[in-house]
Amino acid sequence: MKAVILAAGEGLRLRPFTANRPKVMIKIANKPIIEYVVQALVANNIRDIEIIVGYRKEQIMTYFGDGFKWGAKINYVSQEKQLGTAHALYQARTRLKGRFLVLPGDNIIEPETIKPVATEMDDWASIIARSTTPSKYGVVCLEGKPIKRIVEKPDQEISNLVSTGIYQLSDDIFPQIEAVSTHLKRNDLTSVMQYCIDDGKRVLGEMTEGRWIDAVFPWDILNLNSEALKGTDVSRAGKIESNVYINGPVSLGEGSVIRSGTYIQGPVVVGKGCDIGPNVVIMAPTTLGNNVTVNPFTEIRSSVVMSDVNIGAHSVLSHTVLGDGCQIGSHFSSASEKARIILENEIIEVDHIGSIIGDDVKVGNMVSVCSGIIIGPNTRIASHKQISANLPDKCNVV
Amino acid sequence: MCGIVGYVGNEQARDILLAALKRLEYRGYDSAGIAVVDKTVQVHKSVGNIANMEKGLPELKGTRGIAHTRWATHGAPSTKNAHPFVDCKGHIALAHNGIIENYEEIKRELVSKGHTFTSETDTETLVHLIESLYDGNLEKAVRAALKKVRGSFAIVVVDKDENKIVGARKESPMVVGVGQKANYIASDVPALLKYTNRVIYLDDGELVVIEPNSVKVTNFDGKPIKKEEHRIEWTIEDAEKGGYAHFMLKEIHEQPKAILDTLIGRIPDMNLGLENLSRDISKVALIACGTAYHAAMEGKYMIERLANLPSSAHIASEFRFSPSVDPGTLAIVISQSGETLDSLMALREAKRLGCRTLAVCNVTGSTLTREADFTFMTRAGPEIGVAASKTFSTQLVAMLLIATQLGRERGMLDPEEVRHLITEMRQLPRQVQSVLDNSGAVKLTAEWISSARDVFFIGRNLSYPIALEGALKLKEISYIHAEGYPAGELKHGPIALFTKETPVIACAVRDATYDKILGNIRESSARGTPVIAIGFEGDSDLQRYADLVLQIPKVHELFAPILISVVFQLLAYYVALSKGCPIDMPRNLAKSVTVE
Repeated sequence: MKAVILAAGEGLRLRPFTANRPKVMIKIANKPIIEYVVQALVANNIRDIEIIVGYRKEQIMTYFGDGFKWGAKINYVSQEKQLGTAHALYQARTRLKGRFLVLPGDNIIEPETIKPVATEMDDWASIIARSTTPSKYGVVCLEGKPIKRIVEKPDQEISNLVSTGIYQLSDDIFPQIEAVSTHLKRNDLTSVMQYCIDDGKRVLGEMTEGRWIDAVFPWDILNLNSEALKGTDVSRAGKIESNVYINGPVSLGEGSVIRSGTYIQGPVVVGKGCDIGPNVVIMAPTTLGNNVTVNPFTEIRSSVVMSDVNIGAHSVLSHTVLGDGCQIGSHFSSASEKARIILENEIIEVDHIGSIIGDDVKVGNMVSVCSGIIIGPNTRIASHKQISANLPDKCNVV
Repeated sequence: MCGIVGYVGNEQARDILLAALKRLEYRGYDSAGIAVVDKTVQVHKSVGNIANMEKGLPELKGTRGIAHTRWATHGAPSTKNAHPFVDCKGHIALAHNGIIENYEEIKRELVSKGHTFTSETDTETLVHLIESLYDGNLEKAVRAALKKVRGSFAIVVVDKDENKIVGARKESPMVVGVGQKANYIASDVPALLKYTNRVIYLDDGELVVIEPNSVKVTNFDGKPIKKEEHRIEWTIEDAEKGGYAHFMLKEIHEQPKAILDTLIGRIPDMNLGLENLSRDISKVALIACGTAYHAAMEGKYMIERLANLPSSAHIASEFRFSPSVDPGTLAIVISQSGETLDSLMALREAKRLGCRTLAVCNVTGSTLTREADFTFMTRAGPEIGVAASKTFSTQLVAMLLIATQLGRERGMLDPEEVRHLITEMRQLPRQVQSVLDNSGAVKLTAEWISSARDVFFIGRNLSYPIALEGALKLKEISYIHAEGYPAGELKHGPIALFTKETPVIACAVRDATYDKILGNIRESSARGTPVIAIGFEGDSDLQRYADLVLQIPKVHELFAPILISVVFQLLAYYVALSKGCPIDMPRNLAKSVTVE
């Protein structure tokens, strides 16, 4: 059986991190979200994979290539305009015969999650999961095993069962996608499923006990990181100088150096080619990407630092996400506390949050960022500034 | 990354194994080996690619066998370390992809029992272990051996008596090909597609025994496992290009990773393995052909700037006729494949004249790396597109690292300057990614130029070799006549050719040459010639003088050539694409030129 992974979307709500990459390529514990999906499929012996790509597709294609490294055969199908999930699936119609799986590429799952639909079934089926925040998702109403109704982001609480967007379908869905698109002007899979159910199609709701985590807001990256680091293996490919204290699971990539006097409390993942210390403190759960430099006397806790980042000496990062390519001066402060994060049309309260800093932000020395602040990519901040409001893309703070 | 194959059937195994192995060659080729079994196990191995092995390969009779190809990123490849390995009696042969973690303790025990080893590899231990457990049943012996080893592996094993191949996998890929009166094992599907499209994917902890008419899969304890057969409906070409229309575009996009891989482990502490490279050296000669010659020219500027050593760049085929070198010269020979004949001859000439020699190369174990005194490997990975892309940008990174090393050794750079350069180098993968992410303007420019008959590339100092490289790239794949010039030379001739139909592409980054190049842009515009300028982002002056501006991130001037070269690769690619040229296989050109 083939599988189709939907990976064409930009993921606007995860800005600033989707300004330069598709949502599925956001790395959690140094692994793109979509890689968790590919690995879950392969573990279930589903190896013939179609990935629907669109926004910044080269990054996905360059990362996976032909899928050989993952024991899979991956083919790519382009969705030129991102009109909806049903439209995305429709792009692969000539390559799909009989039964197949459809999975969103932007949720972290494990092999267990898709087990109920991993072998060919007689009916269509949808993986459903329990959620503590059902109002963010498509809520599912069951009638015995079959699904009766899927309600997108309901105002009232109907049930805590939500659709994961993972389906087992067959090629007779394609005429239905056409019908829904023509008559109802809808191009999302949920609408198509509801249409088919109304039309008398049996769609089984299969409960999963496996992990299914979604990132809705950029700070969710911190929760996903914490969750993903639970399975950290101890591996030491780099060089550790004497007088380094390491406790708990810490994974250190090839070519990385941890210099004297550094204290690391795992689970912590450090990528390839990093230069840490001397005298740096890193506390769990934290991930550093590839090619990251952390200068002396800096403390990083519960944070995600992406790749090609330089963090100056005497800095503090707590519950902070730093995007690719950030160059941060010395005495930088992004400490965490309870904060209200201001988005375009909502205000959200978060318990522990430092700041959320997009890709390629250049920060001078002695800059302090208040908790809950979001900084757009390619922004430049001069020395000795305090940032207490969100900053858009490419702005200059002088 | 390695590739392994196995065959058992009714036909002669030799040619089938070679053909299958060649389909895995794009994953690596620094040594290769084959074992074909008739009544005896006949093994043949060699350093270099599969074609190299084939050259000296005798006619091996037999209808079953195994073969192996290897791409080492670390450590020297040698015939001794090449697979397959045989046991003491030469009755069992094995090829392996992966690592046996506890091989030392097993080896110690085997040595004490009288086994003799010919290599230092973990793999050889495995074949002796199987030998020690063999009592006439290969499958049983392999099963018993796997119980004792820890690590990751995909292995294929064959012995002289039983008409079967045993394979097993743990954390390394392996597929079984199901044929007509013949069965196959390989690391990857492309190896099999010439013979069958029916495959079985093995999973971790599974062992397979193939005979001409049967495939039996069990777990390591011997419990049978029912496996599903898959039918493959794609072509070899599709598989290898991973979604991209051409290898060249794929390789252009692989550059951030290739550059990172070239830097990893070398920075921050400058561990290049080139200690005392400059001792008793008073000058440097950089020698290469084609695109690599442009890297050599950049190397000259970089070494002169950072190490204050007089340097010269030479085209290899010319160097041989007037080699102005002596024992005080460091000769740096640059070749992607390490097999370019002109470069090899130049290396030999330099050695004969007493030079210290350094090879900059992308293929471990190639002739160039074996013959030079020092080696610096670019870690770009295999490059299939004939027009060099990632191998060139990693050669430029190599030049930067070597120049920094020389400067440090000679006391021309203090630790703070070295640190500053390294901090800049670390940003390269990201900056290249940013050029790739913003290729929209390049695509538009490409459409604009694709109707031109002649195009001129100009630059000064560090940008001059890049102008030559930009022109070469465009010529190679789009067949548009293009010339690269040092911008100061325009008024000494080439400007006579400038018309409204000859676009000029000017490298105009803000370095010491900036004002002069602006002058050249103006003098070109004055003749009605369309000018495309490449400069740092945010450079508003350029917008005023040029018709079109392509931007790269603002970087240290020594690093700008790398970013500009990526822009020129994309430009050449999209021009060739819009003209419908055969991008990966331009007419009359070959990837590595091993003839004079």
